[in-house]
Amino acid sequence: MDDQFCPRCKTTKYRNPSLKLMVNICGHALCDNCVELLFVRGSGACPQCNVPLRRSNFRLQLFEDSFVEKEVDIRKKVLKDFNKKEDDFASLKEYNDYLEMVETIIFNLTNGIEVEETKLQIDQYRKENQDLIKKNRSKLSKDEQYLEMLIDLEQQEHDHYYKTLLNEELEAKKAKVKNKEALINELMFSDLPAEHILASHKREMAEEEAVKKAKPPSAFSTGIKIGKQNIFEPVKKPTDGKLYVYSEPTMEWLGPEPPEEDQLQDFGYLSHIRATTEQEKGGGFDSIISCQRALQDAFCGLYFSSLSLDSVTNKSRHNMDVS
Amino acid sequence: MFSTSTQLKYWIFSGTTEINQLRSEINSKFISGQLAQHMGDKKPDSFLTVEEETKIRRHYEYVLKEFCTKFQPPMPRYVLGTAMAYVKRFYLRNSVMDFHPKDVIYTCVYLACKVEEFNISIVQFVSNIKNDAKTATDLILSQELLMMHQLNYHLTVHNPYRPLEGLFIDIKTRCPEISDPESLRPAADEFLDKSLHTDVCMIFAPSQILRSILILIKPYMNGHHRTHYAANKLLATGGKEHLMKTIEHVKRIKYMVKNTEMLDRDEVKQIENKLELCRNQENNPNSEKYRQKQEELLEEEEDRRLKKCSKMAEEELNARRQLIGL
Repeated sequence: MDDQFCPRCKTTKYRNPSLKLMVNICGHALCDNCVELLFVRGSGACPQCNVPLRRSNFRLQLFEDSFVEKEVDIRKKVLKDFNKKEDDFASLKEYNDYLEMVETIIFNLTNGIEVEETKLQIDQYRKENQDLIKKNRSKLSKDEQYLEMLIDLEQQEHDHYYKTLLNEELEAKKAKVKNKEALINELMFSDLPAEHILASHKREMAEEEAVKKAKPPSAFSTGIKIGKQNIFEPVKKPTDGKLYVYSEPTMEWLGPEPPEEDQLQDFGYLSHIRATTEQEKGGGFDSIISCQRALQDAFCGLYFSSLSLDSVTNKSRHNMDVS
Repeated sequence: MFSTSTQLKYWIFSGTTEINQLRSEINSKFISGQLAQHMGDKKPDSFLTVEEETKIRRHYEYVLKEFCTKFQPPMPRYVLGTAMAYVKRFYLRNSVMDFHPKDVIYTCVYLACKVEEFNISIVQFVSNIKNDAKTATDLILSQELLMMHQLNYHLTVHNPYRPLEGLFIDIKTRCPEISDPESLRPAADEFLDKSLHTDVCMIFAPSQILRSILILIKPYMNGHHRTHYAANKLLATGGKEHLMKTIEHVKRIKYMVKNTEMLDRDEVKQIENKLELCRNQENNPNSEKYRQKQEELLEEEEDRRLKKCSKMAEEELNARRQLIGL
């Protein structure tokens, strides 16, 4: 975003945070101040390519690359005429060829390849298909139809939801009034003591409430069904498969067992090796390591006997070597 | 650890017989290959015999050791050990006549420097070689990959030097009877140096080679202490059977190291002259053939690169055409 700048007045986004870049059909950007300055009279030429432009055609640059803006512009214009639908073709292949042709035209126009010829092609097409274009302009494409249908459905559901909400509220009010009347009537005509009546009435009310609450709502207010879709649930972890069990690596010494690490200190091996200096300790070195390594090397392979090597493996080994 | 290493798995052999057999196989293979290639130009007796090959290889092992000891900055001993092991392994799979050892040894040392983490640049390395620096650099770098391939990428070598330190620690800790173990060191070093020129590192484990110094340095300590140490302390866990076996191994190693013949200088020179005539000229950096081959390789590479470039350009063009829709 740092290189967003007006090519005319060289203002950058950094120097003027409220900078707005505008583009016109030629695809060259200008900041809104320059547009106001240059197009006081409503029309003028692009300072970069000298194409005559109208002020009303300027709009905000959405994409960083103004080339994309230009392409979008041209696409909009071309598609106004090339508005055939899939139903207008006999086969899918023809429809695809048609789409291919449209893309080629758009590409040519944006990249300035054979502009004149392409324009002629467009004109010719427009003449040939005048009726169809007019007819299709009023028609909606399949995608648009589907979208409209979706919007309709949503609207319906929304209305329905509000209606039910209103109904419920009304009914609740009615029920309250009814209850009150019933209570007063009972107090007036019954022989039972007043406290008893009040208590039983309260119990009844509570029961009713409980029944209402027991019926859980089946959908959120947004229309998503509760419980049925679990798209937001995390992926279940696989529970089967064995857990890793650590087993100590075994060393084959081919010789007597060298002393263990704790034996080095106890038997006094370490007193025969240069002590670790402070600096070396800081670096993580310990004389135990070198001492143990030297001893291990001194013991390892002592009982080894080359004669015991299997003669068969020996042979195969040599073959491998030579190859 | 040696017990799980590729050294044990692939580069330890049952004995000198097996190693010699491998060497003679390589020798005859090379000779028959050359004879087939040069139909009658060369006679079979103009090539080196296995014994002559061994002599020349041993001679260059001494050269390598000399080079390493004089190397500036001084290099640790285990680099030398590793380089030596590389030379031995390399000539188990290649004939001396195929690759002249005077070139191979430097590559081995250079590779060993890298593997043993003795950090040195090629410029610094080459300054230790008397020859022209540029040709030496070219040679080493061009041979390096081949070398690794020939070694089957088994680059870790277990040398007896670290175990030696371990043994000294062990002696000092468990055998305080031995009054001055450090006095054994010069003799031990000398023995290990000598063992480098034998095939023991391809038959025994490094710890076994090292144990032989205990028997060897008899004059430095009295017999009682020696057996005491070797038998009761060091091998106590293994039982008598292991003890006997180890002593047998140690004796074999001692025999092999002690019985290395000295090389006759004049004879080596003679063999070298003979080698100059019969070596594979394709791998001789001074020969016309080598240059031709290198040029061919270079051209091939160039060709491949050009082809690749043109192919890429074409693809791009096609992609562009498709995009435009032509």
